[in-house]
Amino acid sequence: MAERILPFEGLRVCDFSWYAASPVATKCLADFGAEVIKIESNTRPDLIRVAAPHPPGKEDDLSAGGWFNNQNSSKLCLGLNLGHPRAREVYGKLILASDIVWENFSPGVNERLELNYEHYAKLKPGIIWVDQPMQGLTGPDRYAAGFGALITPLGGLSYLSGFAHRPPVGAGTNYTDYVINCGQLLVAVLAALRQRKLTGKGRHIVMSQYASAVSVLETAMLDYTVNKRIPAREGNRTPSAAPHGCYHCKGEDRNYTYTTRLGMVEGKKDDRWCVIAVFNDEEWLAFCEIIGKPSWTKDPKFSTFLSRKENEDELDRLVEQWTIEHSPEDVMMLMQQAGVPAGVVQDAEDILLRDPQVRARGYYVYLDHSVTGRSAYDGIAYKLSETPGRLSRAAPRIGEHTEYVCKEILGLSENQINEYLAEGVLEVG
Amino acid sequence: MAERETLLGDIRVLDLADQKGVYCAKLLADLGADTIRIEPPWGDPMRRIGPFFHDEPEPEKSLYWFQFNTSKRSITLNLERADGREILKTLVKTADVMVETFPPGHLEEIGLGYSVLAEINPGLVLTSITPFGQTGPYRDFKSSDVVTQAMGGLMYLAGFPDDPPYKIYGSQAYHSASVQAAVGTLVALYARELTGRGQRVDVSLQESVLMAQETAIPTYDMRKVVRRRVAAEAPLIPGSGLYPCQDGHIFAGVVAGAGAGWDVIVDWLNSEGMAGDLKDPKWQETFQLMGNVRALVALARDPLALATRLADFAHINEILSAFMKSHTKGEIYRGAVARGIMMVPVQSPKDILESTQLEALGFFVDVEHDELGMNLKYPGAPCYHISDAPWRISRRAPLIGEHNLEVYEGELGFSNEKLATLKQAGTI
Repeated sequence: MAERILPFEGLRVCDFSWYAASPVATKCLADFGAEVIKIESNTRPDLIRVAAPHPPGKEDDLSAGGWFNNQNSSKLCLGLNLGHPRAREVYGKLILASDIVWENFSPGVNERLELNYEHYAKLKPGIIWVDQPMQGLTGPDRYAAGFGALITPLGGLSYLSGFAHRPPVGAGTNYTDYVINCGQLLVAVLAALRQRKLTGKGRHIVMSQYASAVSVLETAMLDYTVNKRIPAREGNRTPSAAPHGCYHCKGEDRNYTYTTRLGMVEGKKDDRWCVIAVFNDEEWLAFCEIIGKPSWTKDPKFSTFLSRKENEDELDRLVEQWTIEHSPEDVMMLMQQAGVPAGVVQDAEDILLRDPQVRARGYYVYLDHSVTGRSAYDGIAYKLSETPGRLSRAAPRIGEHTEYVCKEILGLSENQINEYLAEGVLEVG
Repeated sequence: MAERETLLGDIRVLDLADQKGVYCAKLLADLGADTIRIEPPWGDPMRRIGPFFHDEPEPEKSLYWFQFNTSKRSITLNLERADGREILKTLVKTADVMVETFPPGHLEEIGLGYSVLAEINPGLVLTSITPFGQTGPYRDFKSSDVVTQAMGGLMYLAGFPDDPPYKIYGSQAYHSASVQAAVGTLVALYARELTGRGQRVDVSLQESVLMAQETAIPTYDMRKVVRRRVAAEAPLIPGSGLYPCQDGHIFAGVVAGAGAGWDVIVDWLNSEGMAGDLKDPKWQETFQLMGNVRALVALARDPLALATRLADFAHINEILSAFMKSHTKGEIYRGAVARGIMMVPVQSPKDILESTQLEALGFFVDVEHDELGMNLKYPGAPCYHISDAPWRISRRAPLIGEHNLEVYEGELGFSNEKLATLKQAGTI
């Protein structure tokens, strides 16, 4: 193909969404060419902008938030104060000039802003309207607000993850926001978008983030409805493999800075681990060979899969006696060369600077931003050979594109724009 | 059966994926794509994965198979045989998408590489899901879910600092890669409407979870600080973390600057005589701090300032913990929802099945399994509403080769004789 096209070029998205689950989804539309216009204001910023990290000295700059920026590449930003009574004059016009509307407020906010599909679909047939509330637009708990860190426990992942001797603390992040919720919703939206291209038909699509999380519990729900069984928290174990765990490895004699819950501290990079997964006898024999066939590997306690499973605690201790003498990279390379699945438990430094695979595939994209300078952005996790998409610009500042949107899209006059600015309806930044 | 409107009713998918990608094709199938699962004549290896219906380990009773193959049809086809590969080429003519998870290079080796398939059908989208992608130094590495959760940075963020990191339950790297692959496939199908041509979609399990590291990469990029796992037995900042209650745990996320604040929480505790001294005006300043995102973010950056707050935080936590311990998960959740406080129960599969919210959304669906003589209850659609074209399980997972006749005879026009020959040869 001579010229690489951006498939969504010409589509416009009116994006009310904030935090993570929806912005990560609209990032996909933007990276593939849609004109995604994010609506925000200094009065009511996307609160992800406030959260860490920021470059040193820019902690209070709403434009410098790394969390926000990473999720909002390729987008434009209209500075519009949704708390202002006249805001609707502006966003009402923008909705009618858009192909897709996307929001993830809790239903109470929707109702106040009168953001509803039925109303706008009458004025603009063919619009695709996407709601991504935490619970749903209907149902007894629809007004319960939340975010990914609450979805993870509510949706069952926390209960089933981690070690049995510890309380169910979950994933350590707002896990479901970043791939699961946004991706499942995109599947429906993109299918609807393609159909709209063929037939002109619009759709109203509503996700419950709660339901979305429950749909990735593998077989846990079906096992319960059919067999009334609830799996125990098994940490890193799995029924079909042994050893199958995360093993402590040799640390590095080098200081670096890392987070604790009481703030950042400096210390040795000694929190290093490697996972090893041995599924069958062939892999087991290869594993034994690599670790030098110590006498315990010949013990009947470990000679068959079943016996290894029965003595898994002891097995894990013995495996760790070997791994602790090696760096996790060495463990991984030795195992992989012999055909045993293994991988370093990588931290951000490993992934961004050291991992030759991530680098070779060019996953991270560095973009120049007017406030943060050059920063790393998550790229696109599906490599399309002919229309690969691209991160066309760094994340927008609040109100960076107010003038463009008002003049070029909404056709507002200079006078009108100034009046809105003076009244605090619009903001430029 | 009356024709129902669907989003992907005009799309045909050939599903050759193993565990890494089987959910990708399910996502498309439940939106109406005609999805044909291609199994070896002796049955798909996935049918051996438990748990099983009533713990009876038989190929037609794998709940794993059931869960991930809803709305699909099944044909048997042996790709190790040349005549089997020729039949696949015939099927490719009418397919829009093929999803596969073979090691990189395998399809080329058996004469079914993208260039061959694209010559047969230039509109085909070939979606490949592999541990590390089709390119790069690790492309041939062996993997499993846990290996790619580790290499993708998810594990390093999960758990307690003095425990090993752990994987998130439920093969999340497989799920993530499948979701990402489905999105990439649909972008490619959209692009096909513009270019008239299909393309390859290359998905790496490792890359599929990188986004879920949240702030870890920007934190390292901007501050040269590595984000480590920081879970603890008890919350540091009140209202932010896990609290034991009578029958389990409550996760509180009160600090996000959304939802009801501490005035509402204290009134709730007070209404049951459990607010301790928290009604005293001296706590107002602390409550304001805890309700202010910017102030909390600043506090997290300043260990000395944080240290001066710890005694107060511990006092409030003690009162809140006592309140939680005197209630059940359900009581706290109902009370929190009614007041707009962001607290949720840590739900087990049992709790989830009993959820009145999911019931109101019609999330769980009964799927007929005539062979088992009963309906089974499945988790349903992530999007509970798509106007006029619902996301739905249209049928239970197929039996081995259940649609052989439908496809081979009905569509490809194979004679009974030819079918018998292919069967004897072990091709189908």
